Amino acid sequence: MTEELRVAVDRKPNGAVLYTKGYINNVGGEEIANRAYELMDADVRTLLLNLRDTKIVNSIGISILIEIIEKMIDKGGSIAFCCLTPVIHKTFQIMGLANYAKIFVDEDTATKELGL
Amino acid sequence: MTTTAERQMELTLPMVADIEIAAARAAGNLARELGMSSEKIDEMTHAIIEACINAREHSGCADNRIYLRFVGTSKGDGSRIDVWVTDHGRGFDPAEARSRRPEAGAAHKRGRGLQLIEAHMDEVSISTSSGGGTTIHMVKYEKKES
Repeated sequence: MTEELRVAVDRKPNGAVLYTKGYINNVGGEEIANRAYELMDADVRTLLLNLRDTKIVNSIGISILIEIIEKMIDKGGSIAFCCLTPVIHKTFQIMGLANYAKIFVDEDTATKELGL
Repeated sequence: MTTTAERQMELTLPMVADIEIAAARAAGNLARELGMSSEKIDEMTHAIIEACINAREHSGCADNRIYLRFVGTSKGDGSRIDVWVTDHGRGFDPAEARSRRPEAGAAHKRGRGLQLIEAHMDEVSISTSSGGGTTIHMVKYEKKES
């Protein structure tokens, strides 16, 4: 059995929003990474990941998200997250991801704060 | 007199990609039958996912199987679920694994599975021996508000 993750991209004037749907595991993390790196190569420096349709993440998927954040920081940009379930929020804090990426309750707040 | 209801389930799953989702769904269904809150269920399922991934990635077992047992107990003052995740692999040293653990909150790419299990569950105990396999026993409680 496999659980496919779908990623949709919405380009904004000052960045982009990635919408994930499904399980963020190793394969899902790589899918997000591919889309994020395409955007970085196109000089996007502010990315918001909206996880409203993701209910499960695992530690391997989060390790890939940390790699994406590190690459974006190296390029002088930033990555943020919104619409996390309470358990995903808790997991991000344990994994240290919350130290390097802002987390917002909803997309409207994130969009305003990030200036997207 | 307090009424006690118990539900049990046993699964033997092949170590294939994303099989941890099947284990998590089965446990989640049992927890919902007991009336556990969605937040408690989410925490439990994330812990089960990490335990299954650890077994699949690190056990090196020959039979390529994960053995799961769930026991849900509901009483007047709340419910609990006991989860056992067993592999017949090489075993590991929990103390050594914990010593490699980065500080909580420090960004680290791997080696967080056991830490996540312990953070998401109320009780965790590990039985493991070199060549004798590993069983992780986890407990999640839900107290009824009076």
